Amino acid sequence: MSPGVKLCSAGVVLLLCCVLSLAVGATWIPLPQIAAAFVHPDPLSINHVLVTTTRLSRTLMAIFVGASLAVAGALMQALTRNPLASPGLFGINAGATFFIILFSSIFSLSSPDAWLWSAFIGAGVAGCLVWLIGNMGQGSLSPLRIVLAGAAIAALFSAFSQALLVVNQDGLDTVLFWMAGSLTERSLSTAAPLLLCAVLGLAGALLLAGQLNVLNAGEEIATGLGQRTGLIRLLMSVLVICLAGSAVALAGSIGFIGLLVPHMVRKGLSIDHRWLLPGCALLGAIVLLLADTLSRVLILPQEVPVGVMTALFGAPFFILLARRGGRYG
Amino acid sequence: MRLSLGALALRFSAPAWAEAGAAPLRVITLFQGATDCAVMLGVTPCGVVDSWSEKPTYRYLRAALEQVPHVGLETQPSLEDIALLKPDLIVASHFRHERIFPLLKQIAPVLMLEEVFEFKKTLAMMGAALHQQQRADEILNRWQQRVAQLCQQLQQTFAGRWPPTVSILDIREDHIRSYLPASFPGSVLTELGFNWSDSSREASGVSIKLTSKESLAVVNADIFFVFLRAQNAAVQRNYESLVQHPLWKQMRAPQQGQVWQVDGVAWSLSGGMLGANLMLDDVARVAAAQVAS
Repeated sequence: MSPGVKLCSAGVVLLLCCVLSLAVGATWIPLPQIAAAFVHPDPLSINHVLVTTTRLSRTLMAIFVGASLAVAGALMQALTRNPLASPGLFGINAGATFFIILFSSIFSLSSPDAWLWSAFIGAGVAGCLVWLIGNMGQGSLSPLRIVLAGAAIAALFSAFSQALLVVNQDGLDTVLFWMAGSLTERSLSTAAPLLLCAVLGLAGALLLAGQLNVLNAGEEIATGLGQRTGLIRLLMSVLVICLAGSAVALAGSIGFIGLLVPHMVRKGLSIDHRWLLPGCALLGAIVLLLADTLSRVLILPQEVPVGVMTALFGAPFFILLARRGGRYG
Repeated sequence: MRLSLGALALRFSAPAWAEAGAAPLRVITLFQGATDCAVMLGVTPCGVVDSWSEKPTYRYLRAALEQVPHVGLETQPSLEDIALLKPDLIVASHFRHERIFPLLKQIAPVLMLEEVFEFKKTLAMMGAALHQQQRADEILNRWQQRVAQLCQQLQQTFAGRWPPTVSILDIREDHIRSYLPASFPGSVLTELGFNWSDSSREASGVSIKLTSKESLAVVNADIFFVFLRAQNAAVQRNYESLVQHPLWKQMRAPQQGQVWQVDGVAWSLSGGMLGANLMLDDVARVAAAQVAS
């Protein structure tokens, strides 16, 4: 099968998953009613209201968050030349968590909208710090240094978060649920700016795909071919912060998608970033949609945090990958 | 209502009640229910832990605990402060203080309760340990009488509809909790003879967390007791969006005008006998309203 056919079939699977996600929940909503909800919405029909409010926003959120995380993961692995790199390595999750706890305990922000923005700012601050530290010294971004800087910044922010949580236990409960990752009850209107940020990030990543292939050939070859490697790396870092930052702000920390989806796509589709990145976006969206759909119905009437679901399936796959000696590229 | 109970607590602590002969024991209470029960027994603790909300002390206990020093949080009391207060007795619970139990034991005799919200057991055990057995028995008897009386009143007012099913909903910023029969408020309502929906009866634990409004149907009942966890805009907004949700409007309690907003401190955070009595006041108010309508 050519990569193009594979991509198209992934698109079809994504569509089917969308329909499934709209239909499945505390109550099963039959397909004709879903269609009717979009074509002739009836404000008195509860099923129609459920489809067009809660389930639609959840589905869209899962698609964008999943796609952003997977593409950010692929960029991260290319940037650090490390098969085990994930967006979390930029300290993004730790930074977002810390800022949520900081802002909610100091400025007593407690609305989910305020959290959204504090998480995004936190992700940005942590990402910039890691990039600056990784760039110090010989003047160029070293893959090894960025991994070390990321680990250090992530540890630092988690330590801060824990210190704050010990002092202020009030926020603990809600922050805990957020940290485990959740896609519920976010209104599309508050999420819109971040969704836009994710879309721009995805588009930017696709435009950069050709340059990624050149950079991947090695520092000397890329420079020899006339590529401004410093600039490309900077752009990649900005994109990772944009994508992973908006994903973590929208849905909390959802692990393993950024780590595993790029490997699955590399195996199944192509190692050419022009195919790899769109493949990651599609597969990331599919995986998160399925995980979220499953998380809704597993322990009805409660929900498993979707981050727990992805970890549950991701961990065995990760071990398999490590045992097979997964190589980058 | 809040004032009258504060007055009740003060009356209990009048010296005339103190049992003759026994020197007052210095007691430190390490969870909210124990502090509440100490006040109910007329014993002013020599140290208490911070409250969960209305910090540092719940309003209904403030009059009785005005000068009492605090020894930290319920989840992490300061052992140094406890030792410096030289208590004769420490009241703690296995649920919260299992790990510091060996250390507490070295400071003073420790009364360990299993849970933090079994208010009748807490009161009885503390009564025995504080040489206030007689008072504890009186309080428990009065509780039984009050419950029996209220139960009878409810049966009359609800007549053919008795026993109605209830749900206790705790509104948080981003989710809703429904308290189950095994919880503190659940046990009081069960004692009053209220019924529970099948899904509440079958669930295990003390509460279920509903993150999606789609699953609201599981809390459907004839009467809702609702409280907001915190007095802030986010919780208020979540409650408003809940009330406007079509699934909410479809449930029995909202349709029959049986949604009663109550105080979260008494209904879930107090965990003691005074708090349980405040709950009975609220239920009595609901019963009176049924007659009026």
